[in-house]
Amino acid sequence: MEFKPLIIGNHTAAVPIIQGGMGVGISLSGLASAVSRQGAIGVISAIEIGMDEPDYRQNKRKANIQGLRNEIRRTRALADGGVFGVNIMAAINNYEEMVRTAVEEEVDIIIVGAGLPLNLPGFVRGTNTAVVPIVSSAKAFQLIGRKWARDFGYSPDAVIVEGPLAGGHLGFSRSQLERLDENRLENIVIDVLTEAQRFEDSSGRPIPVIAAGGIWDKEDIKRFINLGCQGVQMGTRFVATFECDASDEFKEAYLDADEDDVLIITSPVGMPGRVIRGSFIDSLGEGEKIKCRYNCLKTCNPAEAPYCIADALINAKTGNMDKGFAFCGANVGRVDRIVSVKELIRELTQ
Amino acid sequence: MAILDDLKDIIVDILDVQAQEITEESKLVEDLKADSLDIVEMLMQIEDKFGLQIPESTAEDFKTVKDVVDYLEKRLQEK
Ligand SMILES: Cc1cc2nc3c(=O)[nH]c(=O)nc-3n(C[C@H](O)[C@H](O)[C@H](O)COP(=O)(O)O)c2cc1C
Repeated sequence: MEFKPLIIGNHTAAVPIIQGGMGVGISLSGLASAVSRQGAIGVISAIEIGMDEPDYRQNKRKANIQGLRNEIRRTRALADGGVFGVNIMAAINNYEEMVRTAVEEEVDIIIVGAGLPLNLPGFVRGTNTAVVPIVSSAKAFQLIGRKWARDFGYSPDAVIVEGPLAGGHLGFSRSQLERLDENRLENIVIDVLTEAQRFEDSSGRPIPVIAAGGIWDKEDIKRFINLGCQGVQMGTRFVATFECDASDEFKEAYLDADEDDVLIITSPVGMPGRVIRGSFIDSLGEGEKIKCRYNCLKTCNPAEAPYCIADALINAKTGNMDKGFAFCGANVGRVDRIVSVKELIRELTQ
Repeated sequence: MAILDDLKDIIVDILDVQAQEITEESKLVEDLKADSLDIVEMLMQIEDKFGLQIPESTAEDFKTVKDVVDYLEKRLQEK
């Protein structure tokens, strides 16, 4: 293999690819451990991770904590000593509690997106857990870096730069998403690399820059490595694997989708998200007011939300595609078969 | 009014506005067009300038320039 290992904090992965955390329930211990076993970095998505716990409907907070513990332990048991992480959204209501749990479980890496993880280093001091923010602009990276340096004397163990072609919630406005030429991942990555160099000059510690969003094959990976990145994060391609924790129906939606089926919605999280169009998405606006059972997101207002995103995503994960939808990257139209993680990593590296 | 002037300096530095456009009634997000990153930047600069720490939960209540000025007056008196 011609790629160099990816070093994040005290952890070294032979393959410089992170499998992005995918909620709800799309990347759990099954996918994450399979990826780690191949020498890349598997990531568990922590969002609504307690959905299979018996007390999820009664005590969601507790169920999510327990679910996170279980999934971390399962991943570790199956990962063959490979590096793995947890993805936690800063916008969830019990974000700090979930972060603390992941640290207690001695996860290798905590990756935080959907919000600014301004106080994250405070939770990992003196531990082996590395912390990595996901940003969509050099401005956000610069701010997080300065805040961490000032308040914690800590420099990010790596940074993931997620561009506008990614799946899931996007750190761009709808109008930015309509002007893709001005917001190309390559350009944002170049600006972040410049900032990372500045931080390195003052702290003496390098910050690996990892590119995400629309990366499809080995040529794409090479392009970002040549720009100066230490690795990439990929989501969509890992959905199309046997080991991915989503239902077969979810994966079939990926196989069936064409470019024209991809749509940007504004989710109750308050951010735009890229999804595959389906009957649920088409019927939005006709439904009755939702009843909020969970109070899961700081940024969701149940009185105004047209549907419950936790329910919709759990339905999709479990295969009830008429009552939910699948997040996807802009490249989903190119997915034409399901492969094993081993095959995928081989294709991407050899 | 020293606090207001210091705060205006910080806001002018971060946002695309002139000092004379800023009043106590100006809303940070709606009128001055601050995004969430700008607000964090503003808080960091305020903390450095006034030598204090502002809890995140307090900062969520800042809507207008006056909210920030009132908070700073109170905190500086306690010092
Ligand atoms: C189904 C799906 C769910 C996702 N969920 C999350 C999530 O919970 N948290 C997060 O930070 N990113 C999430 N993402 C983004 C991915 O981790 C990854 O960064 C992104 O998909 C990369 O772009 P790509 O799909 O073009 O490779 C999700 C992506 C997909 C496709």
